[in-house]
Amino acid sequence: MVFSSLIFLFAYLVLTLALYFIAPLKWRNVLLLLVSLVFYGYGEPVYILIMFASILIDYTHGLLVEKYRENDKKARWFVGQSVVFNLLLLGFFKYWDFLAVNLSALLGVNIPVLGIPLPIGISFFTFQTMSYTIDVYRQDAPVQRNILTFGTFVTMFPQLIAGPIVKYKTVARELNDRVHTTEDFALGARRFCVGLAKKVLLANAIGALWDTSLATHTAGELTVLGGWMGLFAYGFQIYFDFSGYSDMAIGLGQIFGFRFNENFRYPYCSASVTEFWRRWHMSLTDWFREYLYIPLGGNRGGTAKTLRNILIVWFCTGFWHGASWNFIFWGLYFAAWLILEKYVMRDILKKTPALMKHIYTIIVVFVGWGIFAVEDLNLCGGYLSACFGSASLWRAADIYYLKSYALTFLLLVIASTPWGKNTWHRLSVRAQQVLTPILMGASLIIGTAYLVDGSYNPFLYFRF
Amino acid sequence: MTKSYSRFITAFFAIFLGGLLLWHLVLPDRDRSETENRTLAQVPAFTWEGLKDGSYTEALEEYFADQFPLRDSWTGLKARVEQLLGKSQFNDVFLCGDTLISKVEKPDPDLLSNNLSYIQRLAENAQANVYVGMIPSAAEVWKDKLPYGADTWDQSDLLVSAGEGLPKVDFNAALTAHAEEPIFYRTDHHWTTLGAFYGANAVLETLGKELLKVEDFTVETAAEDFNGTLYSTSGIHWLTPDTMEFWVSEDGLYVTSWRSGKAEESSLYDRSYLAVKDKYSAFLGGNQPLCVIKNEAVTDGSKLLLIRDSYSDAMAPFLAQRFSEVHLLDLRYYRMPASIYAADNGIEDILVCYSVQNFISDRNLVLLK
Repeated sequence: MVFSSLIFLFAYLVLTLALYFIAPLKWRNVLLLLVSLVFYGYGEPVYILIMFASILIDYTHGLLVEKYRENDKKARWFVGQSVVFNLLLLGFFKYWDFLAVNLSALLGVNIPVLGIPLPIGISFFTFQTMSYTIDVYRQDAPVQRNILTFGTFVTMFPQLIAGPIVKYKTVARELNDRVHTTEDFALGARRFCVGLAKKVLLANAIGALWDTSLATHTAGELTVLGGWMGLFAYGFQIYFDFSGYSDMAIGLGQIFGFRFNENFRYPYCSASVTEFWRRWHMSLTDWFREYLYIPLGGNRGGTAKTLRNILIVWFCTGFWHGASWNFIFWGLYFAAWLILEKYVMRDILKKTPALMKHIYTIIVVFVGWGIFAVEDLNLCGGYLSACFGSASLWRAADIYYLKSYALTFLLLVIASTPWGKNTWHRLSVRAQQVLTPILMGASLIIGTAYLVDGSYNPFLYFRF
Repeated sequence: MTKSYSRFITAFFAIFLGGLLLWHLVLPDRDRSETENRTLAQVPAFTWEGLKDGSYTEALEEYFADQFPLRDSWTGLKARVEQLLGKSQFNDVFLCGDTLISKVEKPDPDLLSNNLSYIQRLAENAQANVYVGMIPSAAEVWKDKLPYGADTWDQSDLLVSAGEGLPKVDFNAALTAHAEEPIFYRTDHHWTTLGAFYGANAVLETLGKELLKVEDFTVETAAEDFNGTLYSTSGIHWLTPDTMEFWVSEDGLYVTSWRSGKAEESSLYDRSYLAVKDKYSAFLGGNQPLCVIKNEAVTDGSKLLLIRDSYSDAMAPFLAQRFSEVHLLDLRYYRMPASIYAADNGIEDILVCYSVQNFISDRNLVLLK
């Protein structure tokens, strides 16, 4: 199930909230576990088994790590086992076909392609459960002895299928003991409405333009202007879709008494690529830094080692987004920019005016979306070379689309900056109190209108 | 947030979501939507198999959306918001002032070249004369009304190239000459009775028959509240409805329909449709496999076979003024070679008469032989 659907909003969420708040405190974790299984099983009934396997294996390994706390070698062995299990799970369901095709071609052997549909959200929940045994081993979090409570962590529906990636230690305390307040509910509901508006009103509104540009390119009629409009459309779509999803997840979490970390902090306002990655999908970059980059030695082993570590981490980051070469290139593309910024451009960037730095960052990031969005490498190369002048400048249809989407683009640009938030905080408390229900109502009503009409409402992370 | 204000916001959120759920549950399910002119999804039957392959949840979501309270108001609201955002395209319909014009999608080139070749095949098989007539859509005839650069497929090449080597009815020239007049409905993709009148004269001209005159007809206003297909798909519900007219009198015309495989007496207009949304189907009673209009006043025994889509229904009454018999055969439902039908019924002229939008997307022309 996805958040931006009528059945989630008006059936699942209503019933879940009602049951949850009627249930006595001690039953709430179990209830959350059950409704989360329904949430997941609704779209992926068979893959519920993966959930059970994940819960069982990671739960046991947590206990084993704790049991052999004094015997570090054994404890490490069990952490290793749990990590391998999660990676195998991810590897099998997500990467088998990709590896089979490429290894078969490379080695001249015949590894069968299985064509297994990807369990939705598997990249998110395997990373979450992996963090558990590692956190327990590092004594960043206490072991969880109640398997049902642990199951609640693994399956928790708000962040199950599209993040943010919640580390176990972030919610360890709240899992056992959390407070529910009306204020949390109200703030969570407000945050949910913000996310819904971002997803349904902003992301969906611009997404169709990207599809148009790609179709135009496939038909061989793409122009420079059309190409860039498409890149901007896609970049805005994925940002508002993804951050909208995170807002909805964070809001739902807060309603249930959990505090998830923020996932996006106005990434398109960054003045360098390095800064962009400190503001974009922060839970993923954090995860890789904490559980991969730093264990590899981070930047403390000299330039050569740092370079190696950066490349490994960004290879993984790219590959994490999908089992296809374009995602790998996308990751390495950013690795190259990050390395350039770290070693070559640092002094140049310092002297560059702020506006130029923003423009440079935006161009690098949005060209990156071109690599990210088009899986077929030939198609991708053709698209980008059209953007950079191998095609004619514009055609009449571009002007039509530019006019049709001008206002939408303007709204997207404004919504990408903290302007709205700052203005909100400058309002008097009275004004905020009056505006909150009006804006929430607008988000819910217009959002519902778009969902009822329902012509365009894609789920972008089915590859993740 | 103060405690009481938090309670207010919480209640607001819960009541909005819960209230609509309750309303949905209490509201009786509808069979069909008049506004959208389609049947609505009903509660799906649960099966484990359906759950496993996802078809059950898909059907459930479709049911939930189709039966959502105030469905038409929600779709209308969406269109209003899109308009505020400066869009001129609403679910593939362009809003051009007070007129809706359907976008023409780029055709599948294989399908198009096949469909074109089937016409040639018919011409080879049939003993009768085969004529070809492509009716341009409003996006071609009224292209000046479209927003600048509107992304719709250019029909002009097809209008010239369809039926190469065969005698052609130039609907495009006939309609373009009268582009200033209301020849298409503003809320529906069909041509109006006036448009069909000009179309009929184009046919008569090509076939060497005497042309019709406007003065020969008394115009009857059949409906003044016609909201057509474009009204439904676009969600734009705020335009003035169309007026629908009947020009040809039913006197002296005898209509036979083969709706269920056997001949039944029928009529030129099925007025029961005027009371429902799908008013255009009043012409000959809408889609059917085969329909014959006989005019006893024309005694030369001339017979015309139209390979039809719905545009022909408004035009056939006019053509019946100059032929003893007009036959309308729909390849989607009548699945026998048209050349044999023509031979069996002593028909000397066949007109393959399609609107461009149907012709480029129809997958039944393979039966044209």
